[in-house]
Amino acid sequence: MKNNADLSINFCGVKFENPFCLSSSPVGYHAEMCARAFDAGWGGIVYKTLGLEKSFKVVMPSPRLNAYHVGDKRFVGLQNAEQITDRPIADNIKDLLWLKKNYPNKVLISSIMGYVDEDWTELAKMSEDAGADLLELNFSCPQMAHKHAGHRIGQDFHAVAAFTEVVKKASKLPVIAKMTPNITDMIPVALAAKEGGADAISAINTIRAITDIDIDNFTPLPNIHGNSSPTGYSGKAVKPIAMRFVSELCNSKQLNLPVSAMGGIETWVDALHFLLLGATNLQVTSGIMRYGYRIVEDMIEGLSDYMIERQIKSLDEIIGKAAQKIVDPSDFNTRYQVVSVIDENKCIGCGQCFISCQDGANQAIKFDAATRKVSVNEERCLGCLLCKHVCPVWDCISYKEVDTSYTKHAAIF
Amino acid sequence: MKKPIDTQNIILHKCMRETLTLEAAIKESNRCLLCHDAPCSAGCPAGTDPGKFIRQIKFYNYKGAARTIRSNNILGSVCAHICPVEKLCEKACSIKALEDPININGLQRFATEYGKIHKLEPLKRSKKNNGKIAIIGCGPAGMSCASQLAKMDYDVCIFEREPSAGGVIKWNIPEFRLPEDALNYDIENLANQGVEIKFNSAIDSKESLNKLKSEGFEAVFISSGLSEAFMLDMFKTYTNALDYITFLRQVKFGKDKLNLKDKNIAVIGGGSVAIDSAVSAKSCGANRVYLISLEHLAELPADEEEIKLAQLMKIIFKSGSQVTGVIQDGNIITGIKGIEIDWVQEGKFTPDNARQVSGTEFSLNVDLVVQAIGTKPGKEVGNFAEGIKTKGKGVIMVNDTFETNIPWIFAGGDVVNGGATVVQAVAEGKKAAESMDKYLKNRR
Repeated sequence: MKNNADLSINFCGVKFENPFCLSSSPVGYHAEMCARAFDAGWGGIVYKTLGLEKSFKVVMPSPRLNAYHVGDKRFVGLQNAEQITDRPIADNIKDLLWLKKNYPNKVLISSIMGYVDEDWTELAKMSEDAGADLLELNFSCPQMAHKHAGHRIGQDFHAVAAFTEVVKKASKLPVIAKMTPNITDMIPVALAAKEGGADAISAINTIRAITDIDIDNFTPLPNIHGNSSPTGYSGKAVKPIAMRFVSELCNSKQLNLPVSAMGGIETWVDALHFLLLGATNLQVTSGIMRYGYRIVEDMIEGLSDYMIERQIKSLDEIIGKAAQKIVDPSDFNTRYQVVSVIDENKCIGCGQCFISCQDGANQAIKFDAATRKVSVNEERCLGCLLCKHVCPVWDCISYKEVDTSYTKHAAIF
Repeated sequence: MKKPIDTQNIILHKCMRETLTLEAAIKESNRCLLCHDAPCSAGCPAGTDPGKFIRQIKFYNYKGAARTIRSNNILGSVCAHICPVEKLCEKACSIKALEDPININGLQRFATEYGKIHKLEPLKRSKKNNGKIAIIGCGPAGMSCASQLAKMDYDVCIFEREPSAGGVIKWNIPEFRLPEDALNYDIENLANQGVEIKFNSAIDSKESLNKLKSEGFEAVFISSGLSEAFMLDMFKTYTNALDYITFLRQVKFGKDKLNLKDKNIAVIGGGSVAIDSAVSAKSCGANRVYLISLEHLAELPADEEEIKLAQLMKIIFKSGSQVTGVIQDGNIITGIKGIEIDWVQEGKFTPDNARQVSGTEFSLNVDLVVQAIGTKPGKEVGNFAEGIKTKGKGVIMVNDTFETNIPWIFAGGDVVNGGATVVQAVAEGKKAAESMDKYLKNRR
């Protein structure tokens, strides 16, 4: 029998039945799609970013996607040249009203993007009137055709603070400021948003990237009638970068705002990673674009089982559990040293560890040609665990702590 | 991951497997562990080096893969189709400890076909400034030896008694196993090296061999294969009892005359060529095709894959059985009589070790008997190379370096090993070429 754990969260005073939300993107393009997402089990949706067509008429470039494939692994990352919604504001507002009426217990977040103060005010008011529970301010779309929008605003502390303030004045709703990762340090921008009155931060928006180039016609992809541009990159490939930014946001004492995290979430394990770093709310797009809304079933069931197994009653008990373990490299305890341990019974003799150690580490692995078995020369082992990471048998190579009274041989010549 | 056999193609006399698409090749090469010591490469007698060409495919270096295959194995395309990989390279594959072995011949076929489509000429032309060498017989061993010698800039001429190249590959390997294009492409590669092939040119007498010497050939490589099939005495006088060499050649090049539609065929033998014969008969519309072998099903010398193929083609296995006589109408066989056997001594699969089991007698109505019980070298070998040492069924004796007892004569392939795989013949041809090079250098 399935016994679900309590996955509910409170984010900016709003209760979510679970932390899983659609992020603002094509997966929340209109009411019918959002309804299906709710039916599949998503706790909330961030609707596709609204804009005012009287200020700027959006036309989508075409084709607007390119996927990053690695060998036979398809869709490791996704590049998009998507703009904010190209649907009329009136239609979108009708959709929001319909969604709130039909799904009163689900959370509706309206993502908005203005170009001048008046736009932000109008969009915030319209969203609130349409029944949105929260607002998300899109300061981060990296490919807006409008020159004074998206990540260009998100890199400008003053603009972020000012527009947030405008929105806070116009609406009583809690406000999430969505950050761009196309910046060296996200904290100052997040602080600017806080200064403007933001109640939470969401991150990361997509990373500017070039995913491919057609080597026959020298055109990067997506090939938009002969041209391309470094546009928003997302999906599993960006998760490590997203985790870094989210960790920095969650660990900033000065910021001290709840975080809605996104970037490469596909499974409950990905979701858990972000929760452990300190995020309260989670958003997904690329995973849905690849696999559909149904992936939330496995996220709910997987996270639920994890909690039940460990007798975790509420997500609050685990949010941020990994945060304090993230320190500056200068704080590492380097008196702790390890060497690789190879389980000879599990070794299949491929020698990949040997090659990698030979050319990428310190020649600490010996390959016995006759037995096709490998062994570690602990005197030379740097404990880098490159061998463990290239081994095709997942649990063949482990490591152990060694006495650090001797100095490791860094080089022989 | 192998693609399944398409039995429909067998009936259409087309290759029973589809080639790997680029997508499938990328997927398959990405399964490879790229082992340090590449046991697959060590498992290839001819040194085709799958470890390297799979790595090249994985890193999108498809032309490089085609070059690797071709420079190591002039019969790269043929071997990609017919090599018993599960006994060689794939047997050694490390990933078998975790999952199915890499589909090595599939990848080899992909790479060679990629080379063909892109008009790759992987081998340079011989400068022909390093002496003249004659090769007798343009089969796998002869082609391999010629290619290797051409790489060393010898002026090589192959004398072939048939009007086409390929030997056993050309005449006896059915189309469902090997499309004609694959062999033709290998021959084309050999020709691009500047190797001359003289067709309808049998070297079968002392005079013809001496003529080679007088024409300036400094060494000879005999790779004339096995041309004479064994026949059971009980079938010798009948017109509808064929040996597999004759039968397979007729299926490939004279189907219409053979007229096997709705006929019952008995194939005697349990090896690869017996299975090829049985499946060929079925592909020509035969009704009931029996495979009669002394060996029991689990003991058949044919590969597992071949046995599976025969099963798919609804061949009737009369395994562990012996033919005891014929039912005839004049000089035509109308049926055969047989009986099941046990072995007197386990593990010895010879007729004299068989014990008939009474009460298991059977008789079958058959319209044709095909015998696939072995072959031996033709008599011509003794004729032209007078005094050459042979052994057993007449195979030529050579030392480790493929030298015969006659100084300028070398030999390799089936005529030496008594009948083995194509890849083994390729290996022997290569080694003999190295040895001939050494011999000629020492002489100068």
